Amino acid sequence: MRISTRGRYSIEALLYLALLPQDEYASTSAISRETGISDGYLEQLFISLKKNNIITGIRGAQGGYKLSRTANLISIGEILRIAEGSLEPVACLSEKDCPSGALCRSRHTWQELYEEIADCVDSISLADLVTAYKKMDVEGYVI
Amino acid sequence: MKISTRGRYGVRLLIDLAEHLDEPHIPLFDISKRQNISARYLEQVAVILRRAGFIKSIKGPYGGYTLAKNPQDIIIGDVLRALEGDMLIVDPPEPDQPESKLKKCIRTTVYDRLNARIASVIDRKTLAAIVGTVDPEDSYMYFI
Repeated sequence: MRISTRGRYSIEALLYLALLPQDEYASTSAISRETGISDGYLEQLFISLKKNNIITGIRGAQGGYKLSRTANLISIGEILRIAEGSLEPVACLSEKDCPSGALCRSRHTWQELYEEIADCVDSISLADLVTAYKKMDVEGYVI
Repeated sequence: MKISTRGRYGVRLLIDLAEHLDEPHIPLFDISKRQNISARYLEQVAVILRRAGFIKSIKGPYGGYTLAKNPQDIIIGDVLRALEGDMLIVDPPEPDQPESKLKKCIRTTVYDRLNARIASVIDRKTLAAIVGTVDPEDSYMYFI
């Protein structure tokens, strides 16, 4: 039950942008150097992140990307839904025409699991990650 | 971020066995018909569940499968881990690989927490609890 590479890389790239000083743009090659995610993959991820107003890009020599909103207004849940699609652990939760329907015994469990997952990722924002990151500086980070 | 077909079908197989505890052994063919899952696929899932000690099989013309434990002693988390390998949301960090600060921050703030929340749901749920509960609101009309 893994989060896809797409989802993991999106969170990583966005945390990088969230750590930048306000109004600073970062090029995909700068993000690539820090995260190890290829330029091409980043460009691909950024298409849907731009469309969903998570990031803004400008062209040109000083161009690059920055967050469209402050980090506290971007939740991990929103990022994962853009990158991964629905967060439901089984596809049948949103299907109206399941043949077992209301009598399905496992549906209730999957629903509970979904609510727990959604509640968890919706309650963590990029700002929480920034705080945690800065706290690592204080605590001393050793590779 | 999905549970595999194997995981879902395995849980349905156990639910079906738990609902027919009054019958000594259930042929897979019956479960296959009731659950609308191919018998071949069900066979593969049954092998995993048998090796993991959740079900046992009897061979012969009256053979079939039955639960190897009481439904209240079967934890859904254990079942899903047997079928899926694990129930982790990302690969665990490799012990000898250095982890970037960015990655470590995301792991401890998001992934570790999410793994713990998922485990808390599936590890407090038994097969008995699942068989005993259909969402009362949904099922109301079927049971009046």
